[in-house]
Amino acid sequence: MSGEALAVLVELDVGDAPSQVSLADADAIVAAAQDAGVTAIRLVDHVGDHVSVDPTVAAAHLAGRYGDIGWVVDAPTTHNAPYNLARRILSLDRATGGRAGVVLLAGVGDEVSDATAPDPDATDAADRWVEYAHVLTQLWESFPAAALLGDQENAVVADDAMIRPVDFDGRFYRVAGPLDGPSSVQGRPVLIAVAPADVGWARVAAIADAVVVGYGEIGGAAEKLEAALSVAGRRRGEVALLARLDDDRAIPELQAWSAAHGVDGIVLAVDGAVPGILSTIASLPQQGSSGRHGTLRAGLAVPNPRGALA
Amino acid sequence: MTRRLHLNVNILNAGVFGGSWRFPGTDALASYGVDHYTAIAKKAEAAKLDAVFLADGPLLDPSIRHRTGNNLEPTTVLARVAAQTERIGLIGTLSSSYNDPVEIARRLGDLDHVSGGRFGWNVVTTAGSVAARNFGRSDEPDHALRYRRAANFVERVVAAWDGRTELRSPQGRPVIVQAGGSEDGKRLAARVGEVIFSADQDMEKARAFRDELRSGAAGFGRNPDEIVVLPGLSTVLGSTEEEARRRRELLDELLPDAYARDRLSGQLGISLDGLSDDEPIPTDLLRDPIEAGGSQTFNRVVREIIDREQPTLGQLLKKLSGGGGHRIVVGTPEQVADDVERWFRFGAADGFNVMPDVLPSGFDDFADHLVPELRRRGLIRTDYDGTTLRGHLGMGVPEVRAVDETDLVSAS
Repeated sequence: MSGEALAVLVELDVGDAPSQVSLADADAIVAAAQDAGVTAIRLVDHVGDHVSVDPTVAAAHLAGRYGDIGWVVDAPTTHNAPYNLARRILSLDRATGGRAGVVLLAGVGDEVSDATAPDPDATDAADRWVEYAHVLTQLWESFPAAALLGDQENAVVADDAMIRPVDFDGRFYRVAGPLDGPSSVQGRPVLIAVAPADVGWARVAAIADAVVVGYGEIGGAAEKLEAALSVAGRRRGEVALLARLDDDRAIPELQAWSAAHGVDGIVLAVDGAVPGILSTIASLPQQGSSGRHGTLRAGLAVPNPRGALA
Repeated sequence: MTRRLHLNVNILNAGVFGGSWRFPGTDALASYGVDHYTAIAKKAEAAKLDAVFLADGPLLDPSIRHRTGNNLEPTTVLARVAAQTERIGLIGTLSSSYNDPVEIARRLGDLDHVSGGRFGWNVVTTAGSVAARNFGRSDEPDHALRYRRAANFVERVVAAWDGRTELRSPQGRPVIVQAGGSEDGKRLAARVGEVIFSADQDMEKARAFRDELRSGAAGFGRNPDEIVVLPGLSTVLGSTEEEARRRRELLDELLPDAYARDRLSGQLGISLDGLSDDEPIPTDLLRDPIEAGGSQTFNRVVREIIDREQPTLGQLLKKLSGGGGHRIVVGTPEQVADDVERWFRFGAADGFNVMPDVLPSGFDDFADHLVPELRRRGLIRTDYDGTTLRGHLGMGVPEVRAVDETDLVSAS
């Protein structure tokens, strides 16, 4: 992806606690980030044991005020039945004109799904992550936008033959589908993995649209991703590799730094007070021209999925 | 203080009528875009209504071929509406059967905080096998089990909100909204409901329902005046009686017949295949609401229409018009205001959950013509005097009940 603008995500932990960014401050940060051409805001689910404002709520709210920036929300498998999470993320994606994605965090199950888990002995978090990711992507494509007709003359809202149940039958989940709403303009929301070594590079590479690695994991990450993608039969350009940085040292030479490490963008997770975050945003190289940006997939330079728009 | 009428608008995608999305001048697919909801909410706020309301279920309604359905997840829509409005209350429907209590307590509490204390949770138990299959089940949990779970589920969520030390809400905690006309539903409403939606065609029955709920709530040690009962009300407005009547007739003509039959069939839990439009539904086909599965409330409402009016199948389909059984009033703003005022003064309602025939045009008519008439009569507020949903509803924050700590029941 050389020559393309680098993707820049700004990470926020929104909440009431002193260690968190208040909603009002988040608003100011998003305004600055949008002006600076930042690709997306990442809203984390928790830091340590301390939960943030629910990221889907925070993203949907802030997106109601800022329409030209992407939204990446963290969501764990824990406490989230996949049908519910798939709906929330797709609703956000449609409401933002295809500017949403989810960082799916590996975890345990939820109270609703656990009661009917197909295989009660299945407990591995990485296995669950993969299954969950498949449920999400299948649900997101189960109601193709092209099925919506709105044919008033012939009284046909949608061509229901194009809308297909997913009938997912796994070890952790059984989900019939389809989803209640049509696919988004970017085909489906962006699916992002973090800590790929935990879930396994091979599993992540088979399905994710983007992978975030921590500062300590950057070395060799590009090679590991490339190798895993090749096994999965996918091209390198189908997945964005993002490095999460907790300071702004790399920013002055961002293009060169990214090229040297083989990454396609960064997630800025600057600790500390609001002025620090704002000055880091101000120091970013201007990302492209002002004016409307496109979908989150366009911002990450990853393709729309093949199935959804076919 | 003068008793004031409470009004919510139910943004039921394209409108309550089955043919709403085909109404002339209507963008058939507008309800698939979020701006449809935010625009109506802004209009509702300008009209000083109590709240907007979003119905929901975690499923694709199988009737999608012939009618628009709810298609955006309510908390994400309402969080957006909150960013673009300042006062209007925000009521969203979320299932107690198909959500994790820890997750929903957090998300809904956060939405209440983010919106400045404007959120209300409409608790539903979600009938039907279509939703059940999205959560690993083959069929809906038994009715009584759904409601037993709901009562315990709500109490846990309320206790979690009450115990918050961060991200507290300016209104204390979200308002609990509930709709359920079954015996199980009424018991749940009397125990935990603060706003109660109901479905009644008949004013006397509606008053009896409201009285029953109020005394039920008192039986649980609650103040009956802190319960707001809002029957559903579908409105078809015209500047003359003739214009309103013609609008209603046009909606009947636009109602996709296959949809109307499917919907009624689902409500009654029976097949209508092979039945003629010109004959009444044979009595021996009709099943007891408790046995039929699905929503007991709407089965009962339709059965009462059948008993009272003895309609042919065709007449019944027209009467319901794909709207399921909520009362439909047709007329000029003055005529509809008369009806609304009569129900309110009779003690049959504290207000209404308004379901315009067609969205947005039917709500534009409501806000532009009916609301000023109700205001002229002193029935509704001229301006907001609070900023929270509890403030609009004139409610305090009730005491939290002790929570049953045994495991939640869950159907397998």
